[in-house]
Amino acid sequence: MKHLNWLFLLLCMPLFAAPDGKALYEEKCSACHHFRGQGGIGLPLSPEILAQVSDDYIAKTIRHGRPGRIMPSFQKLSAAQVSAIVRYVRSWTGKPGPVFEAARIQGDAGKGNVLYQKHCVRCHGKDGSGEGAGTGVTLSRERSFMVMPAALNNSGFQKSASDAMIRDIILSGRKTSNMPAFRDKLSDQEVAHVIAYLRTLQPPAPRKGLEEWVGKPAYVMESPYDLETTVENVKQALAGANFRIFPQRYLEQGLTDEFSMNTRQVSIRFCNFKELYHLLNIDPRLGTVLPCRINVLEQDGKVLVISANVAQLATLFNNQELSEVGVLMEEIILTVMEEATL
Amino acid sequence: MRICVGICLLLALALPVQADQTLVMARSNAKAAHVMDVLKETLPEYGYSVAHVQRCDGGMAEFDYKTDFYRVVFFGKVEEVRRILARHPEMSPYLPLKIAVIAENNETLLAAMDPRALAPMFPDDAELQLQLSRWYNDIQAMLDEMRQLKK
Ligand code: HEC
Ligand code: HEC
Repeated sequence: MKHLNWLFLLLCMPLFAAPDGKALYEEKCSACHHFRGQGGIGLPLSPEILAQVSDDYIAKTIRHGRPGRIMPSFQKLSAAQVSAIVRYVRSWTGKPGPVFEAARIQGDAGKGNVLYQKHCVRCHGKDGSGEGAGTGVTLSRERSFMVMPAALNNSGFQKSASDAMIRDIILSGRKTSNMPAFRDKLSDQEVAHVIAYLRTLQPPAPRKGLEEWVGKPAYVMESPYDLETTVENVKQALAGANFRIFPQRYLEQGLTDEFSMNTRQVSIRFCNFKELYHLLNIDPRLGTVLPCRINVLEQDGKVLVISANVAQLATLFNNQELSEVGVLMEEIILTVMEEATL
Repeated sequence: MRICVGICLLLALALPVQADQTLVMARSNAKAAHVMDVLKETLPEYGYSVAHVQRCDGGMAEFDYKTDFYRVVFFGKVEEVRRILARHPEMSPYLPLKIAVIAENNETLLAAMDPRALAPMFPDDAELQLQLSRWYNDIQAMLDEMRQLKK
């Protein structure tokens, strides 16, 4: 029994060992923020930015993420793991972060609105959702800024940033991303008004897909025609909707030799290039769900026409711009499928 | 001592089982063409066949998108695909599995859907849930290998 106890203790050891911040950062953050915070899909965590934000802000940002703005919320990390990541990020500059008071700063949101329209709107957008398409650094994209402004109306930002920190950012600006310093342009009172206005900003409500298909992985329709006719119908409907169609494949093609391949499962792949490249600018990870395809399967004496639930699929990216596109695509794909099975 | 064992067991059981993220991603120091080659060798080591590789970078430059390398690798195990589609034809849009390989300057970004994101849509199929977790484990392990590739 005694030995058994020791065995249990040994098994439990990793739970009590200090988490490795570097390893955690590289696993959870580096894909978006780069190995040392140079930025990418995610904003840069540069020395300048790190000198402006508190440990508390970084930790809360990890917890809350940025709903609808790509960064996931890391709810499953332990407090020790979150601190380890913050410590690792701080180790890049070797300097401790600033500490801000949590107290709210009082101001007049109405007056703040006027100031925001004058000084901030051209970069941060009408509703604080940022400029143009996408987020982060322009690594592969053409844009007016090197760094895209963060969404100030995002609940993750609002919950993580204290008023005092926002005040400091407005006063100092950000050199690397061309945000001017407002120290000489706005009085303390005016800055307080702007902050009060920022606190009223809210993200637009997300559009949802059709009720009928919510929570389902795919749209499935039964075709009254045989497999060959259905495939032709789908292609015609797609061409009618201005899609380019790729050579068709069998679902099992490449997974097994051509003699044992099931030829009653056809994948029709299609694309609208112009739209695609526009979308890749919004979110370069889109390739993980491309190309679009409609499958026609003959199974148990039925012919089924199946497409991924694109409205649902788009939400996986936690990118509101893409989610909107998913809802539009849903309409188009359902129309094509209905036309083909009419 | 008993208590300690009990606590350990509880902690072990409470370990995360569900995903934070819905995409699996990794950044590699190596160039995209190299990552792609290694990935194509790694997939069979995990028992998967590479079904095909889709090039997506054809006309991207025309549309202001500056990466020169964008591929999607499709892979799977035919027995798994058959077993699952027999019960769930609605899983067909997600099979074969795929990983996107995207160049970012001299580095590479890899991204795949986390198959476990589909789990809540199949609440009554424990076997499928297990399968989704297995796929996730494999994808995560392979991406970890790609992350550790040298320049
Ligand atoms: C010339 C464009 C520009 C103007 C004008 C501008 N900003 Fe910014 N701002 C940016 C950019 C770009 C960033 C992103 C900086 C980064 O992360 O590197 C930013 C970042 C911020 C941040 C930090 C957000 C975060 O999550 O990092 C706050 C807060 C902010 N701006 C508020 C304001 C306010 C308030 C005004 C008006 C008083 C303003 N900005 C004017 C471009 C601008
Ligand atoms: C899937 C991509 C992604 C991952 C993974 C990710 N982030 Fe982010 N992160 C972003 C994006 C995008 C933003 C900016 C959101 C916006 O534009 O509104 C951001 C913003 C931030 C900010 C605020 C920066 C600022 O200037 O105010 C911090 C801090 C941050 N992330 C830290 C982390 C850490 C630490 C991790 C790992 C635990 C992480 N992120 C994982 C994409 C990501």
